Amino acid sequence: MYYLGLMGEYLKNYMKTRMTYRADFWVEVISDLLFQATNLIFIFVIFMHTNSLGGWSESEVVFVYGFFMVPFGVFSCFVNLWNFSERYIVKGEMDRIMTRPAYNLFQIFLENVDPPALVGSIIGGIIMVISGGQLGLSFEWWTIPALLLFTLSAVAIYTGIYTTLTSLSFYSDAPTGILPLMYNVQGYGRYPVTIYNRAIQVLLTWILPFAFVGVYPASLFLEREEMRQMAWLTPLVGLVFLAIGLTSWNYGVKRYRGAGS
Amino acid sequence: MAAIEVRDLRKTFKVQKNREGLKGAFLDLFKREYNEVAAVKDISFQIPEGEICGYIGENGAGKSTTIKMLTGILVPTSGHLKVGGFVPYAEREKFVQHIGVVFGQRSQLWWDIGVIESFELLRKVYRVPQDEYKKRLDELVERLQLQELLNRPVRKLSLGQRMRCELVAALLHNPSIVFLDEPTIGLDIVVKSEIRDFLKDMNREHGTTILLTTHDLQDIEALCSRVIMLDDGRIIYDGGLEELKDRWGTGKEVLFQFGTATKLDQLRGWTGALPVIWTAENDLNAKVWIPRDIGVSEVLGQVVGQADITDIKIIETNTDEIVRSIYQSGSADKPADTDAESKEGAVIHV
Amino acid sequence: MSNQWGAYLDFIRIRFLTMLAYRVNYYSGILIYSLNIGVYYFTWKAIYGSGGELGGFTASQMTTYLAVSWMARAFYFNNLDREISTDIRDGSIAIQFIRPYNYLIVKMMQGFGEGMFRFIMLMVPGMAIAMLLFPVKLPNEASAWAGFLVMLFFSFLINSQLNVITGLMSFFVENNEGFMRMKRVVVDLFSGLIIPISLFPGWLGGIMSFLPFQAITYLPGSVFTGRIQGASIWNVLGIQVIWFVILLIPMIGLYRASRKRLFVQGG
Repeated sequence: MYYLGLMGEYLKNYMKTRMTYRADFWVEVISDLLFQATNLIFIFVIFMHTNSLGGWSESEVVFVYGFFMVPFGVFSCFVNLWNFSERYIVKGEMDRIMTRPAYNLFQIFLENVDPPALVGSIIGGIIMVISGGQLGLSFEWWTIPALLLFTLSAVAIYTGIYTTLTSLSFYSDAPTGILPLMYNVQGYGRYPVTIYNRAIQVLLTWILPFAFVGVYPASLFLEREEMRQMAWLTPLVGLVFLAIGLTSWNYGVKRYRGAGS
Repeated sequence: MAAIEVRDLRKTFKVQKNREGLKGAFLDLFKREYNEVAAVKDISFQIPEGEICGYIGENGAGKSTTIKMLTGILVPTSGHLKVGGFVPYAEREKFVQHIGVVFGQRSQLWWDIGVIESFELLRKVYRVPQDEYKKRLDELVERLQLQELLNRPVRKLSLGQRMRCELVAALLHNPSIVFLDEPTIGLDIVVKSEIRDFLKDMNREHGTTILLTTHDLQDIEALCSRVIMLDDGRIIYDGGLEELKDRWGTGKEVLFQFGTATKLDQLRGWTGALPVIWTAENDLNAKVWIPRDIGVSEVLGQVVGQADITDIKIIETNTDEIVRSIYQSGSADKPADTDAESKEGAVIHV
Repeated sequence: MSNQWGAYLDFIRIRFLTMLAYRVNYYSGILIYSLNIGVYYFTWKAIYGSGGELGGFTASQMTTYLAVSWMARAFYFNNLDREISTDIRDGSIAIQFIRPYNYLIVKMMQGFGEGMFRFIMLMVPGMAIAMLLFPVKLPNEASAWAGFLVMLFFSFLINSQLNVITGLMSFFVENNEGFMRMKRVVVDLFSGLIIPISLFPGWLGGIMSFLPFQAITYLPGSVFTGRIQGASIWNVLGIQVIWFVILLIPMIGLYRASRKRLFVQGG
């Protein structure tokens, strides 16, 4: 309850800040969408030259992409760690966080909320509806609950991975270069991972489980039997990676408090 | 009961060694070497409730490392530590509810929106009940005269206005112990004295314990009944301010500007009987160093009547300089004669 | 004059050394670049399916193109836009402007130092790894290599010019973050890094040929994979030089306007 109240308060402040720079909001939304659009363009261009990607049709791949955008938008809105190293370690704002009576990681999440990212989730939903319609997917009673569950699980996976990587800031001089690169890798989970070779499949399933933020859970709605089991694993993977993320974060904070900046 | 209790507190850091040159950089890429550096070396002190204590020392003496340990940010390497009945690093989230912290050079306010919004947010963070918050805020706002500033975004505030708001932000939850790291840095004299008065009143009315670091001797003079001085991670002085100044103060310096050329020999002649030291850049500017046991007025009296003075500036020794002179003398004994030359730094500081 | 350039060269050296200090970035860089190549390799393999030719690329040419483009990116990529934007936002650009050197040249030199670091430490070992893992075929003739290196240098120049232009825009727009993100996306897509331009639909390809982005990746990559040969190579180089010269105009213009804004209007 305390943390929910805080979230409301931080969001309110975000909105007030944004009122002063209203144009920025839209620039940010557009640049986000442009980024998503390039990926869609990639898909469209590919399917101009082929009918199937590893046995998946264009509408199916687009649907997966639509699903991929939903948790990604939520994650980008609430978990924004891009500047962590520079802002909190180099400029020393971590000290201020540490003198406040709330969980430090949560404070950092809240101080960096980025609501424009949610527009991506909405667009993703629309893409799912359109391509789902083209595919004639059936809408069941469990569709919405499953969508919510998978979205939350995928957000947990993202949060876990990025928190783990960001906690490296407590050890190394500047691991900031990893995050943009990870940004590249996460995109690969939105294509049918079966087209990759074994090593990359294992990587995207168990090590950097980005297949669970895109193709695995989406396959449940596409009624693709071969990935059904993987789809239901999503919440479990989410829990495990979130736990890893929080553990390594707490460990990093412990080290920060031992070593200073 | 002591508000702050420190015994044999020690903090060591691992510092990475950078090898020189291109070859060194390549070697560093694959194997790092570290040095151990002790920033705080087994210090002990106690601060009773309701005391205002100045914590001084040169940059790198270990001041901020100590403050960071006392506020729960850093975990000590060894030693015993208790602040307001808590072990800061062990119960951080519960502990910080009882302290207020101001880092003079870092803001805790939201940059783009009205100050009041930041206060509202901090109210939620510190779980201050609405009525209590209202009362406290009214009191602080009135005392620091912030009425008109409350709705202004922080980026539009002057440094002095911002610092007053920072104080409010750190005090909204009515902490019993307050840590101030350079609270007056960069402020003009009027704001400085306003802030000093405010802190003194707060200490008197609420019995707030205050630990502050500063480079400004006037902060210490105005506020602190006690001074702890740090050098190279060790406490080299712990006691009253007057005693410190008596033992270590190196006197005052007075700068003169003359309307007509005045020779150094003339000046020396006028104050011939006094053990003061004159120096001059040219015929229109001169400087005299006056030992502590001689009043400034005594010297001025000799000069004022005789010379055509256009400007006078009195420069008080500051804490840095006292620390430096203690450090230079190498032991806790009274320093040998200090010559005016070694105090150039002080002039720049003022 | 020679002293002046000595100072500029020092910026390359210092940036190179700085990069060396960030070893985590270095290790992860090699890994991720190889992974990127791998993922796209398998994606294209799935697209090619049984064989054939797409947009004039055979499957094996596509593999080489991919590896070369990503490795080239390692060299030409830099964050000059972000660095300049940060300098502007925190005000330190004023100090840079009054120093006795040209800020833009310094930035270019720093970018070059970064590029050299990645070229030696990342691109060369990365290429070796890529050749081990995937069927990448590199040309044997020395002339192709020499040509590629020259074009790579121009890729760097053009990309850095675009970065400088985006960075300097921070003087004139309140929050440049969005534009910098857009630029990054546009460069990756339209330079042909993600999809060779010949695969774009005709009209889009047509537009691309009037934009500078293809000169960053697509054209040099096409030469190196042997799709463009003989005298046409000179055309490619010519296009790069032309874009380099054209982009100097907005870059210098913006730089002048920035100085004016800073010194006349006080920031």
